[in-house]
Amino acid sequence: MSPKLRLVLTVVTLCLAGSGIALYKHLKLGVPLLVGQKSTSWLIEAKVSFLTSLPQPVTVKLSLPPAARDENIGQEAGSLGFGYVLDTTVPGVKAVWSAQQPAEGPHSLYFRVRFPERFRTGGSGIEALGPVPVASPPGLSGSVEKAARGIIDRSRAASSDADTFFTHLLLQLSADSTAQENLLLRRHYEKIEHSRSGDLLVVMGIDLLEMAGIPARLAHGVKLDVREPQEAIPLIEYCDGRTWKVKNPAQPNVSLRSDNICVWKRGGGALLEVQGGDKSKVIFTVVKDMISLKQMKELRDSPLFASTILGLPVSEQAVFRYVVLIPLGAFVVVILRNIVGLPTLGTFMPVLLALAFLEMPLGSGIAMFSIIVAAGLYFRFFLSSMNLLVVPRVAACVVIVTLLMVVMSLLSWRLGIHGVLKVTLFPMIIIAWTIERMSLIWEEEGKRSALMQVAGSVFVAVVAYLVMRVPQIQYSAQYFPELLLIVLAAILLIGRYTGYRLSELHRFRNFTRI
Amino acid sequence: MLTPRELRSMGVLGINMRNARYLSPNNPRRYYQRVDDKILTKELAKANGLAVPESFLILESPHEVRTLVENLSRHDSFVIKPARGSGGRGVLVVDHCDRGFFVKPSGARLSGEDLRNHASNILAGLQSLGGNRDCAMVEYRVTTAEAFRGISFQGAPDIRIVLLHGYPVLAMLRAATSESDGRANLHQGALGVGIDLATGVTTRAVHRGKIIVRHPDLDAPLEGLQVPEWDKILEIAGTCYDMTGMGYLGVDLMVDETRGPLMIEVNARPGLAIQMACGIGLQPRLEAALARRNERPGESARERLDFCRLHFASNAP
Repeated sequence: MSPKLRLVLTVVTLCLAGSGIALYKHLKLGVPLLVGQKSTSWLIEAKVSFLTSLPQPVTVKLSLPPAARDENIGQEAGSLGFGYVLDTTVPGVKAVWSAQQPAEGPHSLYFRVRFPERFRTGGSGIEALGPVPVASPPGLSGSVEKAARGIIDRSRAASSDADTFFTHLLLQLSADSTAQENLLLRRHYEKIEHSRSGDLLVVMGIDLLEMAGIPARLAHGVKLDVREPQEAIPLIEYCDGRTWKVKNPAQPNVSLRSDNICVWKRGGGALLEVQGGDKSKVIFTVVKDMISLKQMKELRDSPLFASTILGLPVSEQAVFRYVVLIPLGAFVVVILRNIVGLPTLGTFMPVLLALAFLEMPLGSGIAMFSIIVAAGLYFRFFLSSMNLLVVPRVAACVVIVTLLMVVMSLLSWRLGIHGVLKVTLFPMIIIAWTIERMSLIWEEEGKRSALMQVAGSVFVAVVAYLVMRVPQIQYSAQYFPELLLIVLAAILLIGRYTGYRLSELHRFRNFTRI
Repeated sequence: MLTPRELRSMGVLGINMRNARYLSPNNPRRYYQRVDDKILTKELAKANGLAVPESFLILESPHEVRTLVENLSRHDSFVIKPARGSGGRGVLVVDHCDRGFFVKPSGARLSGEDLRNHASNILAGLQSLGGNRDCAMVEYRVTTAEAFRGISFQGAPDIRIVLLHGYPVLAMLRAATSESDGRANLHQGALGVGIDLATGVTTRAVHRGKIIVRHPDLDAPLEGLQVPEWDKILEIAGTCYDMTGMGYLGVDLMVDETRGPLMIEVNARPGLAIQMACGIGLQPRLEAALARRNERPGESARERLDFCRLHFASNAP
């Protein structure tokens, strides 16, 4: 078989396989091809972890969102060696895991819930069931009580109902005020609170609401923030006489919106109870899911489920969001180098740079890179005057680049620019090598050549970034990773491209035959 | 700007085509060592009876660097270069010594310490192809031949001949300028002067992609110069093919005042700038060489050269 025929066959096979699987998923399983075609849903994973040290029965109770009772909400629990039941008898739904004698050591239990984006998960009022709740004052005394009274009276004077009272009260409590009453109250709570869990503001807020005759209790929410795993944030639920409402004490004048927070636990009581285990905690990971719930249920029974990243735990899925984009970055590099003919420093360095850019605003990403490379080059020339060996010199460069990054983060934090703090993703070793190679080219071929190459790298990185940022491309890569086979086919084809590079049209622009 | 079609009609070779059609299929991976390691190339050349610049020293370990200056005391002029360098990287030319200082052709003065640093950078692999550890070579510096005096700026020009399976297809002379800082790299501003394969007479010169007739620094005419001992030069190039086994090859030579043509190094990835210098596209000639090889496999070196001098002359049809 000639190499050409082999290539053609491979390319055709790859394209057929890639598009075939994707079409099957689309037509049979109903996974939408285009992003945003159908309503999206949120997937929240609660990961309970704890440690067992003695052979004894363990019971874990995790409070669930009120909506978990609803049949239309997709939910599943993952646990190895634990019995699992959904307890809906008590007020509020709970996931209960239990085991007679689990193995000693760390354990992790998962609960996943998936709900449509439209679903009301915010803090809107739910009707108070049963007898009208009665507030139970916390029993403050002396000067502390007096201070609390003062704050309550002032809030009441400024408000007309429970909602506005809540707002004014918490605005006062959270104000960075040095007023006597505030200080007194805060000091009191700081003294008694360090043993109890919960945010100071939340505890103070609940107590003062109760004192004012408004029933209040602790609630927990999960921020719909896909960037990193998080702990539940404490919220306050209060009753205005007829309904219970939830608000974030840190932003008392904003009502909770179901597109940025999911109220996970309301109705008082603990979020997590673990009997027989130590060091328990619950961590939430949020993923935006673009497949509707119904489709998801069908997909789950299909053998092709494995071909989506959705088969992985949510915390791993978040990593793969970027991993599946790397081939696209490599594809961009192939095009820009072999067809356009841009010079870059290091073949795939721009892809890593582009990944770093994805995590921060592009402008500050480029500024960051330029400053680090410029400063690194300066230090590199300083280092070269000491005549070090190559590897120690690059290692010294890594240290300097790292320190520079720390300094820049601190500086930008001080200046109020927060995006830059995501710098950990900057490929520092690669940047150190970039600096090393750049300084060599600088010395050997002049600064023009060095700057050209570094500019080429940044340009390629920006193009790769722009491609990787397109929502449709992110969606396709995540839900149809088999389409990467088509990218592979395209890369193979370019591998056989023997035509001119665009840069050569420029290079040979003055070509004249003798 | 020319369209791809126009470039193709003139036979200009692009880098993708060079790699895919001429470089990868004709240069066996296992022979790369022979051209990438200049010490090995030189040994091969000597074994094949080729004249090369004499090696004064080969430095392999840091302790040899310490005694570098003492060991060089007998020599007034020399070249230090990495055994595995490419594109002229790390080449340091010392023109003469002056009261303990080493003077470069540009007039820059280096101390013994500078020289040792340069050598230890080479050993550390700074200029080598893959950044691996390397050896440094100290060798004879070519004295410019009479014929090239007029166009020698800070050193003798070198001759590059590109061959495919022993058939020379293009030849050029590279001459340094003040802009190229004494280096012979075309993209740094050196001159590329096309040579007629048949006669060894220069045909035209190019500076930064534009045709020029006189050396920008020395004002000497660049066209119509006869390269001395052209037959010998072509012969050396042909032998380089036989001894390395590399199909697609660039051979670099220099002509010494007293020793005649010397083989300097062999390059398995010769660049495309030679097309600009000669005003001739590589592709038709490479194809003609391939066709000839298929037609008459196993031609002798003599026959190959005769074929090229006949068919690749400037005034050939």
